[in-house]
Amino acid sequence: MSSQADTVALAGQAGLPARPTGKRADRQRFQWSSLALLGPSLILLAVLFVIPVIYAFYLGFTNLELVGPNAVNWHFTGTQNLQRLGSDPTFFLSLRLTLIFIVGSIIGVVVIGLALAVLLQNSVTWLRILVGGIVVVAWMMPAITAGMTWYASTTAAGTFGTLLGMPNSDFLHHEPMLIVTLANVWSQTGFAMLVLGAALRNIPHEVLEAADMEDASRWQRFRLITLPMLRPTIVTTVLLITLISLANFALIYVMTQGGPGNSTNILPLYSYQQAFEFNNLAYGAIIGNVMVLVCAIFGVIYVRASRVRT
Amino acid sequence: MTAGVSASLAEAAAAPVLPPANPASRRSLSNKAVSNLLLALFGAAFLLPMVWLVLASLDSNATWSVEIPHLTGANFAAALSGSDLQSIVNSIVLSGVSTAIATVCGALAAYALSRRRIPWKGPLLLIVLFLTGVPLAILIIPIFELFSDLGWLSILPCALFLAVTTLPFEIYLIKNFIDAVPQDLEEAARMERAGTMQILLKVIGPLAMPGIAAAAIFGFVTAWGSFLIPLVLITSPNQQPGSIAIFGFIGAAHVQYGNIAAFSLVYAVPIFLLYALSSRLFRGGFVLSGAVRG
Repeated sequence: MSSQADTVALAGQAGLPARPTGKRADRQRFQWSSLALLGPSLILLAVLFVIPVIYAFYLGFTNLELVGPNAVNWHFTGTQNLQRLGSDPTFFLSLRLTLIFIVGSIIGVVVIGLALAVLLQNSVTWLRILVGGIVVVAWMMPAITAGMTWYASTTAAGTFGTLLGMPNSDFLHHEPMLIVTLANVWSQTGFAMLVLGAALRNIPHEVLEAADMEDASRWQRFRLITLPMLRPTIVTTVLLITLISLANFALIYVMTQGGPGNSTNILPLYSYQQAFEFNNLAYGAIIGNVMVLVCAIFGVIYVRASRVRT
Repeated sequence: MTAGVSASLAEAAAAPVLPPANPASRRSLSNKAVSNLLLALFGAAFLLPMVWLVLASLDSNATWSVEIPHLTGANFAAALSGSDLQSIVNSIVLSGVSTAIATVCGALAAYALSRRRIPWKGPLLLIVLFLTGVPLAILIIPIFELFSDLGWLSILPCALFLAVTTLPFEIYLIKNFIDAVPQDLEEAARMERAGTMQILLKVIGPLAMPGIAAAAIFGFVTAWGSFLIPLVLITSPNQQPGSIAIFGFIGAAHVQYGNIAAFSLVYAVPIFLLYALSSRLFRGGFVLSGAVRG
């Protein structure tokens, strides 16, 4: 059926005399078979992605619960959940922890990733392959394995304590936010190293040689030439690290489950906790809405940052 | 999202680095020593957390601390039998089904978006791009509601949903590759009266294969590493994938340290292999330049 439609359209394309329809024959027309090609993806994305996102936004303003009477007979409750957010100290703590986690991860990942990318260029081959390999393996590890590894290393009697001469101190318990951020940096840096390394290699040699002619110091060369030329890559990397960190539920969940207390309870964990542990699906949904807002704000900042003079 | 980008970068990392711009200066020798030393320190720091994982996996009486292992293969044997093996099989089913759905649907859509005239194509692509950035944690609540109403809280519907979460990025990735396939080849096939399906299978498919494979690898790696989605969407313990199993080990009454380490390693191996495969795919490069003259 569709092949016939194709043939008609093809006749026009191939330059054969098409029926005079009044339309231009040299421009591609809409083919119904396109709908068959796009159909499966469009239906899946609409039903299981776009509509649920909109629905999640709406659920945030209802009293839906996981169990009990409100699991069935739930209704729109206006700004009730918003008011609850406004007077929920855990929410504000969670928001602050999320920002600390994201900003700390970005700084760690970009600084260490850039340092590694530069160092890799100036090192002997075997060391480059070895260290590059280690960092990339850390990045490839599934989040759950990375979390496991860091849990074992930082808990009481773990590698870190033993190495620092304090075998009995539980770092994960005493400095939970620092440790989970470090773990996240550890598992994301490989990505930044690869991207920034590729960008470094793309800087034309002439530019750096010209700087040498002018007796620029190493630091000047780095600050005035390398860094500005890497800027677009850095902005993109930061954007991706933000999205990944905000989605990195598994890493923190396996290490601390948001604890001790609420000291690592960042927004995705708090949303999950409210929805599926405290049964407040609607309240979990509105925390999710805040998460989208946080994402959007970071997105706007990056778009602006990438538009400033390059 | 990272996996796809990485695939093309893995090769870049392996490429030889050009010599520094200023080879002759005397300072560069000591500079080299300093950067080698710094790099070695970074390497040691990154290696440190992995030490326990490797040692404990080989140790017959492992604890959380790093010790010289009493060598044994029993931990790995345990990780590949019984319920542990079952959870790995579940992971394979979950990731395999999800990858198949996302890659087939994604490739068809990518072809249409790359080649056909479609009304509102611009906005459509923009929406797809926007979807790649939506934090998935917000989707889990409405999807849970929907799936629990339908009685779908099991492995296959979960695979379907995982496919949908990777679909936007797969469409983008494959579309970029199809865009790079010269139109002339397709037109030549049309002259020979090849139908759309034939063109897809015999012209576009093989030529865009590196892109389709990269998208499939991205989908598989994402599904394999997923944790929150199967945690919420699969209720039966027999259907839980490996990521949930690892989490269960830590909370167990009697913690089997060696088992945890061995299982975590086993669980990470497929990912390492797939990344290695994807860097191979890209090393071959795109050999289309010879297909069209001029």
